[in-house]
Amino acid sequence: MDPITEHHLGITRRTLLQSSAYGLGGAALSWMLNRDGLAAAPVDTKIGQTAGGLVNAGAQGLPGLPHFAPKAKRVIYLFQNGGPSHVELFDYKPKLQAMHGKPMPEEYMNGKRLSTMSAKASERLVLGNIEPFKQRGNSGAWVSDLMPYTAQIADDLCFVKSMQTDAVNHAPAISFLLSGAQLPGRPTIGSWLSYGLGSANQDLPSYVVMTSVSKGTSCGQIFYDFYWGSGFLPTRYQGVKFRGSSEPVLYLSNPDGVTRETRREMLDDIQAVNQLKMQQVGDPEIATRIAQYEMSYRMQASVPELTDLSDEPKHVLERYGPQVLEPGTFAHNCLMARRMVERGVSFVQLMHAGWDQHNSLTTELYTQCRDTDQPSAALIQDLKERGLLEDTLVIWGGEFGRTPFIQGDLANRARWGRDHHPYAFTVWMAGGGVKPGITYGESDDLAVNAVDSPVHVHDLQATIMHLLGVDHERLTYRFQGRQFRLTDVHGKVVSAILS
Amino acid sequence: MRYSPNTRLRCLSLSFATVVLGLASASGGTVDFSKEILPILSENCFHCHGPDAKGRKGDLRLDTRAGALLKNKEGAAAIVPGNPGASTLIERICTTDKDDLMPPVKSNRKLSPKERDLLKVWIEQGATWGTHWAFVPLQKPPISESHSGNPIDIFVRERLAKEGLTPQPQAPRRTLLRRLTLDLTGLPPTAEEVANFDADTASDAIERTVDRLLASPRFGERMAWDWLDAARYADSNGYQGDNERTMWPWRDWVVNAFNRNLPYDQFTTWQIAGDLLPKASQEQVLATGFLRNHAINGEGGRIAEENRVDYAMDMAETTGTVWLGLTFLCCRCHDHKYDPLTQSDYYRFYGFFNQTPVNGGGGDPHTAPNLWLPQGDEKDRLEKTKDEIKKAEQAVGSAWKASVDKRVEWIEAGPEVDAKDGDAGKKATELAAALRVEEAKWNAAQRKVVQEAWATRDESFKKVYDVLEEKRKHFRGIESALTRVMVMGDMPKPRDTFVLNRGLYNEPGEKVLPGVPESLAGTTQGLPGNRLGLAKWLSAPENPLMARVTVNRFWQMLFGIGLVKTPEDFGVQAEMPVQKDVLDWLAAEFCANGWNVKALLKTIVTSETYLQSSHVPPGMAERDPENRLLARGPRFRMPAWMIRDQALASSGLMSGKIGGKPVRPYQPSGVWEEATFGNKKYVQDTGESLYRRSLYTFWRRIVGPTMFFDSGNRTNCSVKPLRTNTPLHALSTLNDTTFVEAGRVLAQYALQTAKPNPEDRLRSVYQRVLARPPSLDEVRLWSAGLERHLARFSADPAEAERLLAVGESQRDGALSVPEHAAYTAVCVSILNLDEALTKE
Repeated sequence: MDPITEHHLGITRRTLLQSSAYGLGGAALSWMLNRDGLAAAPVDTKIGQTAGGLVNAGAQGLPGLPHFAPKAKRVIYLFQNGGPSHVELFDYKPKLQAMHGKPMPEEYMNGKRLSTMSAKASERLVLGNIEPFKQRGNSGAWVSDLMPYTAQIADDLCFVKSMQTDAVNHAPAISFLLSGAQLPGRPTIGSWLSYGLGSANQDLPSYVVMTSVSKGTSCGQIFYDFYWGSGFLPTRYQGVKFRGSSEPVLYLSNPDGVTRETRREMLDDIQAVNQLKMQQVGDPEIATRIAQYEMSYRMQASVPELTDLSDEPKHVLERYGPQVLEPGTFAHNCLMARRMVERGVSFVQLMHAGWDQHNSLTTELYTQCRDTDQPSAALIQDLKERGLLEDTLVIWGGEFGRTPFIQGDLANRARWGRDHHPYAFTVWMAGGGVKPGITYGESDDLAVNAVDSPVHVHDLQATIMHLLGVDHERLTYRFQGRQFRLTDVHGKVVSAILS
Repeated sequence: MRYSPNTRLRCLSLSFATVVLGLASASGGTVDFSKEILPILSENCFHCHGPDAKGRKGDLRLDTRAGALLKNKEGAAAIVPGNPGASTLIERICTTDKDDLMPPVKSNRKLSPKERDLLKVWIEQGATWGTHWAFVPLQKPPISESHSGNPIDIFVRERLAKEGLTPQPQAPRRTLLRRLTLDLTGLPPTAEEVANFDADTASDAIERTVDRLLASPRFGERMAWDWLDAARYADSNGYQGDNERTMWPWRDWVVNAFNRNLPYDQFTTWQIAGDLLPKASQEQVLATGFLRNHAINGEGGRIAEENRVDYAMDMAETTGTVWLGLTFLCCRCHDHKYDPLTQSDYYRFYGFFNQTPVNGGGGDPHTAPNLWLPQGDEKDRLEKTKDEIKKAEQAVGSAWKASVDKRVEWIEAGPEVDAKDGDAGKKATELAAALRVEEAKWNAAQRKVVQEAWATRDESFKKVYDVLEEKRKHFRGIESALTRVMVMGDMPKPRDTFVLNRGLYNEPGEKVLPGVPESLAGTTQGLPGNRLGLAKWLSAPENPLMARVTVNRFWQMLFGIGLVKTPEDFGVQAEMPVQKDVLDWLAAEFCANGWNVKALLKTIVTSETYLQSSHVPPGMAERDPENRLLARGPRFRMPAWMIRDQALASSGLMSGKIGGKPVRPYQPSGVWEEATFGNKKYVQDTGESLYRRSLYTFWRRIVGPTMFFDSGNRTNCSVKPLRTNTPLHALSTLNDTTFVEAGRVLAQYALQTAKPNPEDRLRSVYQRVLARPPSLDEVRLWSAGLERHLARFSADPAEAERLLAVGESQRDGALSVPEHAAYTAVCVSILNLDEALTKE
């Protein structure tokens, strides 16, 4: 807005927000701004100015939250979509090798529900791990040779080897892990946390999702948008998908021919006319509109700054591996995740597809590990060196594990596979409030059932929330007449892994 | 507008809360059980002492009077009417002993001192019980004779008078015209409509305008969107594979049904049970596509029965939400915690939908039962081919007879069965088997085998036989390309329905018969025990829910928030509406008036309450931020689809074509590809399809259209608007090709038709977008903006060219490039004004 017009109107945002001259008290306005996550703005910023935090994507959480002092302020979830084989990667069972090719003893499998792709009971032959395991670091954690980089950071990790879930198919199991329900329609963890805790960032969404898949992967586990949906929570709590393209956020770029200066001038005019309207109508919704449009302008600057990697030193880029500069790869996304948490994004959900080795253990599993192992480890080291790991919770894991018996023909090594397995699988956690260098829980000697300290999906969810200072039983939302929560009526915090 | 629990808390500290939710008894009257007591008991006690027998603690139930008055072994009762001192309920809610306190500290529930007092007073007054307001049979609330006019206004004014408030005056006429046109057609008024309305000074101008809008074919399109959200309509299955389906004829049926004002009871019956109606018409069967709109999970390894159960549950729960406003979901696993719905009720209700031949396997987007719907000349082609087949069959018949002698020989000799392996071997065996049967007793397959074999022997027979085969193949070809809509159909032999323990498909318990919830059933005598019976029960005048729930949704569409603000829940946990008399009067009227949707809407939109100015008087934004008292007219941001339609319509780009296959308008590139690993490619349409109304946009369930940022997710039934404002929304209306192109075309129209000065040109744009001329201040502001844009674009005409190249439509090359670009920037800005995005 030009100074003359501004003078003519005599309005700055300060007067807009503080004046009750338009029949608009501060309480109603702040209520509306909060509802839409457009509050927490320093009120001395004039319309049209670009500096200073005017609005943000979810500044204010609920009153009374966090429930207690959080150990972690932010989360990076390295979600491994498809069901990584715990048997191949982390859950070392010498007996599997010893029994290789023999039928799976019936007492292990008694009456278990499996996917319809699994073999008949008589054809379930035990399959030994395809690569050797070694104990790593001071902690002596078992990590397969498939994961050489993760092996190097074993002392920073907490392995939970007794994970269990209720679902045997991908979409229901992923939905269950991320939203607590197998069918779509519930808010995901990131949405719950954005809703409860708000966010510290000024110009970026508080909950961001990035997806990737290894080149040449034969399976197509799709990334459904309900994996980051807000369910019955307001849509502003849903994860914002950053795309692996030149335009990371939909509609971020100005149209051809509209420069940033032109856009600024357009916005100044829009806002000035909106203020005239505000004077006539007195509806505080108009103030939220003004704030909303200002933030869109700021986001157009903050996102490109976020995605511009030119300020990253060479040694950092190299650490994340050869794909780091390729948008849409897991390596690139890992580096982006670090940049996002540095800028105050609270929940970063990376999803990497391709872990569904029904017939590709000896082929595609190697690709999966190659593309994810190095960047995952690099992220942990990078966060650690920057002092961010201590209050950033990093989680690595998928929706279930894989059967310790073979899917396919034992004689045809090139097509060896394993089916979905919900009764035991491994995840690792690191950073914010989790004991480093420990292994928690255990599966039986054939990695079939979690026998020692089983950790159900709801327990994992409760633990994540606990680390962020949230009592999972007390973060609820009323929908369809009842209080819903992430963990339904279940979930116990796994206190043994808390530091 | 919706608010979350935290904002509710904040809100409670405002005077508004105590006024609106104010407690009658605070002033000393009789406590109203349904309004004041039931909500307290439900929220704080029912979770452990409610209808769910299995979850009940301490053998105490407080959801029935008998339960609450029941004496325990010690002779004490939770409630002793008239004697709060002797009521253990009062003792337990007032104790200072943390271990004894109710609700328990651990439950995160807490009674306020006011609530405790209210319970005491209520018990003192005799602990009179009642029924939850929404379950009470419909009755028109009395209107005192001294009042006249629209009953809505009478009730609203009564309430406002109690609050010491007065309604707002009628909104300016132009505002009203835009409000009505957007509400009833989803489009802005045209310049011509504005001019006609201006000229119409008759006292019934508004009423006639409403009639005109209700008669417009755009009405059905407008009404359909919300119904599609509720029906979880999409053009693909969802889940892996996400195969494309062709349910769009059902969508067109919805538009048509609203347009011809199909009475809502029939609208209901056809969609739930059209196939079961006597001599069901094609259209009635088509309507049942509503139920089949659920997602289909074709993921490999998925257990078919588990899918099948999911689908039937989805139908049951969607029906429960849409027609009853009841939340069945929790009864999958246990009796409802608050409402009188048992787990058996759930499975009996589910039993209605458990009867289709669907087995749950695979991801066929045309899983039978299907309705085959020929389009265009397909019907004629099918008929023609059928005739040709008939002729060919006759020819084959004659040739078959003519060759009977030759064949006897062949049969007696026994055809050689030399090929033993593979298909040939199989065929030979089949032939041998068929020949052992008398010709008169052949079935179709046997006849085919023999005739095929004979055709290899007899040249003249082969000629006619080949013709027949070719015609049949041709017929199948046409048929397989036909549009198929998944519809309902029950198996002849009913499938047994069981209570499923914990909702698990593989843990059947007690066997149940299809039926409606017992506590709400009323009289079901004479109703068939199938979906048709269900539909009749739903729309029976004795059922208080269907009318209330439906009226509430229409009200929500017009006012932005329902009279009951939880359209998905009318159960015990739902608030008693602030304007309950309005809801009950409208619901009773709707039911008595033959479920006439257009008449209902007309009653609402011609009320003074609706026609009020949406000006927010000083103090009212705080006192009543959600406008529950209705002391002003509705004002809220339009849904994204309507904002897009408005841009298309006001620019003149919009195609008026109604119905047909879904279209693929502008969308940022790579969105489908990224979500599906390149399996699904978004091929943008060209020409007219880019400018069809939003309703017709192809909806890929796993990655919906990017421009509809606030729609239902089309995976679950959604009946409540999701109206929040994020910066991402602003980016889409500022930067989406549709909006930029609309701005360019708007600008072009103004430059071509208005007098060549900013004021007249701006007036042209304003009229088309906002249905009003700009004020002097606005003209001054935009003119200054125009000059700046013009200076910039004149200095850099290449940028101007780039802006004018956005969108497919042709530009008038005679217009000055910098000037057209400058006006385009202004028009895009005007389309993004709060006023443009808002229905006011």
